Amino acid sequence: MKPRLSRFWRNLRHRTRVERDLDEELGAFLDLVTDEKIRAGLNPADARRAALLDLGGVESAKEQVRHVRAGWFVESLVQDLVYAARVLRRTPFFSLTAALSLAIGVGATTAIFTVANGLLLRAAVGVSDPDRLVDIVPSQTGLRPGIVLASYPHYEAIRDRATTLAGTYAYRLELTPLFLKTAGGVEPVFGGAVSLSYFQVLGVPAATGRLFVPADDDVAGGTSAVVLSHLFWTRQFHADPDVVGTTVLLSGRAFTIIGVSAEGFHGTSVTKPDLWIPVAPASPVSATALMIGGRLKPGIARSQASAEIQAIGHSLPADRRSGALPPGAVPGSRDASPSSLRWTVESSSPIPFTLRLLVGGFLALLMGVVSVVLVIACANVSGVLLARAAARRREIAVRRALGAGRRRIVRQLLTETVLLFIIGGAAGLALARLITSLLVSLLPAFPMPIHVSVPLDANVAAFSLALSFVAALLSGLAPARHASKTDVLSALKDDARRPHERLRLRHAFVVAQVAFSIALVVTGGLLVRTVGRASHVDRGFESAGVVTASIDLSLAGYDAAASARFTSTLLERLRAIRGVDVATAANRSPGGPTRVTRGGLRASDTASLDALPVLPNWHVVEPDYFKTLRIPVLQGRDFTPADRESTESVAIVSETTARRVWPGRSAVGQYLVWQPQPGSATVAQPSGSRGFLVVGIVRDLKYRTSIDTTPLDFYVPFQQNPTTSVTILARSADDAQTISHVRALIRSMDPGLPRVTPQLLDTETSGPVETQLRIATAVTASVGLVGLVLAAIGIYGVTAYVVSQRTREIGIRLAMGAHRGTIVGMVLRQGMTLVGIGSIIGLALGLGVGRVLAASPIGAVPLDPAVFAAAAILFAIVGLAACYYPARRAVRVDPISLLRAE
Amino acid sequence: MAGQSADLLQGTLDVLILKALAAGQLHGLGVSRRIEQITGGTFVVRPGSLFPALHRLEEAGWLSSAWDASESNRRAKFYTLTRTGRRQLGEEKARWNRIAGAMARALEA
Repeated sequence: MKPRLSRFWRNLRHRTRVERDLDEELGAFLDLVTDEKIRAGLNPADARRAALLDLGGVESAKEQVRHVRAGWFVESLVQDLVYAARVLRRTPFFSLTAALSLAIGVGATTAIFTVANGLLLRAAVGVSDPDRLVDIVPSQTGLRPGIVLASYPHYEAIRDRATTLAGTYAYRLELTPLFLKTAGGVEPVFGGAVSLSYFQVLGVPAATGRLFVPADDDVAGGTSAVVLSHLFWTRQFHADPDVVGTTVLLSGRAFTIIGVSAEGFHGTSVTKPDLWIPVAPASPVSATALMIGGRLKPGIARSQASAEIQAIGHSLPADRRSGALPPGAVPGSRDASPSSLRWTVESSSPIPFTLRLLVGGFLALLMGVVSVVLVIACANVSGVLLARAAARRREIAVRRALGAGRRRIVRQLLTETVLLFIIGGAAGLALARLITSLLVSLLPAFPMPIHVSVPLDANVAAFSLALSFVAALLSGLAPARHASKTDVLSALKDDARRPHERLRLRHAFVVAQVAFSIALVVTGGLLVRTVGRASHVDRGFESAGVVTASIDLSLAGYDAAASARFTSTLLERLRAIRGVDVATAANRSPGGPTRVTRGGLRASDTASLDALPVLPNWHVVEPDYFKTLRIPVLQGRDFTPADRESTESVAIVSETTARRVWPGRSAVGQYLVWQPQPGSATVAQPSGSRGFLVVGIVRDLKYRTSIDTTPLDFYVPFQQNPTTSVTILARSADDAQTISHVRALIRSMDPGLPRVTPQLLDTETSGPVETQLRIATAVTASVGLVGLVLAAIGIYGVTAYVVSQRTREIGIRLAMGAHRGTIVGMVLRQGMTLVGIGSIIGLALGLGVGRVLAASPIGAVPLDPAVFAAAAILFAIVGLAACYYPARRAVRVDPISLLRAE
Repeated sequence: MAGQSADLLQGTLDVLILKALAAGQLHGLGVSRRIEQITGGTFVVRPGSLFPALHRLEEAGWLSSAWDASESNRRAKFYTLTRTGRRQLGEEKARWNRIAGAMARALEA
């Protein structure tokens, strides 16, 4: 094999010498044969011709020799690439539009894949050896997707008993809002509560200081340890290494900063903590609502670990400690007895496993949309390649006549396409970066910092490359096969034209392009209408015209009683402001994504203690809450200032709560009591023994989180149940003015309060469904417009081609005295027929998509005829413009020169 | 690889070229003529098959080539059998004899 390798090298390295050698060898051969023939009696000219015939074509002989050479494949590939680059450079307009269409198609698809990859397919960034990290997932069969959270005992049991895991960690999914006391005042920060093993198991190093070790369990001297994130350390402490070892006050508790985590690590979920505090039974942070993860031991498969964890999960005792959702639980989270749970071990990713299907489904939808654009782009390139192949018929025929094989020609043409796609794909990858950051920026302002890390990693690069390659093959193969079929003789003859067959294929491409683009534009339009409507969607309350501001009074040292006094004074003054129609306060903003529950409630007269309690969503509200938010009071009364601490505990329930607790009876006048814990004989009831007297029934709120939509709402008066977190709600005619009034008022009442930012309730209450809808709309509408541009290029291309094919005919007609207008009309008619057919198909497709969307969780999409009409008109105009220019160019030319050109 | 009536079996051309060169160096046309001569005109090798085969055998290391003056004093590329080429010829010969013997026996039986 050695000689062959050195030949390979020689052939590639000294190509020209090898080629010259071959030339001379064949030349010498010809001379020798000629000599022979002359000796045989032929005259020199005849002898030469006979010798050439013997050889059977110098070029073809050379080509055959090249084929057997070592390295021929590489050589011809390089040759093809160089040739392809030259061809592409020669037609910059074509190359640019084609590469651009592809860049857009590949870019959009890659962007979606990047997001999916970052959220679903890989572990969080900044950890070591992410492939062996796993999420330990409890799930409950038969329930709609939601996160089932584990408790600290679950974590301990798995940590202590699992033999398949090298380490186990736990963290709270939801960040804990904390307040850092600084020299300048108080700074709100978000803390991630993690087990002490967290950083060790993840393999995250410290940037400075040290991270948690199991010994930090010991809360010596009443201070706990805190680890800062690199980002927060840089932002708050200007990356000062001396802060390590100092003590800070977090929400009134002393914490010692023991270190800073390495740069680039933002936690294991999509939330981005500023700092980490230990979660342990003794820790100040409640050790509930945990997510568990671990690291597989080397050589252990996920399924083995899964089996073991399932067994451990089964043996866990039923944990009915709380019997209720912890306060501030994640929407849809459930606390169920562990033995009824299924425990599995899944690959680690920032999105909790049980939600991956949901997120994945949404991304799949977007992927479907952008794939259509890629298909349109491919059709475009295919169409343009076909036109070019037609223009290159002669070139190809010449090459075939010179002895190039058909496969060789197909390969050459495919190389051109692949090169095009590589350029387009590379540009697409760059574009994907842009689109991805755009997508991430479309995410709503969450009430806590979010870190969506979507790196362009090897997965993404491979995806985009493979995609480009497949797309290149798909769109290049048909034109290349077509072109190589060229009949040498007829192509070389000047007048040989068989455009019809090829044209039919091109026409199909244009029709498909128009159809897909118009379908996308229609879908985008329908979604825009839906979003427009969604902002006025009936959420059960009216958010428009309401200004809201949230304050945490505990920061200024208020207790609940002081908060109650502060709030009533604040409301008094607020209601006195001119322009404020009605104002109220509550413990939190209405319609937020979080449901808060404080325990099970049941009717006081229910005989059986085993009756299922209701776990309503708690709202602590001041009087006029329902008036401010325009929630109708259906029965009974609103709270009044007379409902005070000293009077009887009252409550207002939603219709559904009333129906659930007292089916078939009126709820007003009934009492609700706490559901006793199993095993405990008595239950402490708030404010006396009778529980809550129901004084009114209000209309249900509407929940649009796709997870739990049962409107079980429960309202209690703020003055009877004061909290230190207060949200003010004021309805007025002039929002901007009210915002500044509210800000000034709060400042004037207590300058020591943290700064509040009043805002419109409308902007605040944007749920996950709206967010998804908004992203889907933005993506669909923009890809629809991109599709429109691509379709315009396609229409322009095919019309220009038709015109160029008919140049002679047009010339003759003009010379015979035909009106230019007639000819332009003829060309337009032909182009617009294609646009028309495409539009009809596209509109029908759009109608179908609209129907499908209407049946989806997005909700009723109005099949607005205006959207369809607008799309049709838009495409008609674009189509006309794209046809008109080539048509006009055709008739502008002088007929004589037209004819002469032939 | 055309014969007048006989199709060249796969590998036949290679062994014929090696055999033609066994007696000494030859240029392309010489190889072609020698094959015609030693097969009694049964095989006529056309240039379209000859040159690729020569180059292939050279790449395999069985032949070496050098420019030299031809009998009519023209410059031509002459091919020579290398040592490995000679060994290859021996092997091929043995193989052909085996095959030929087997075929003869088979057809006579």
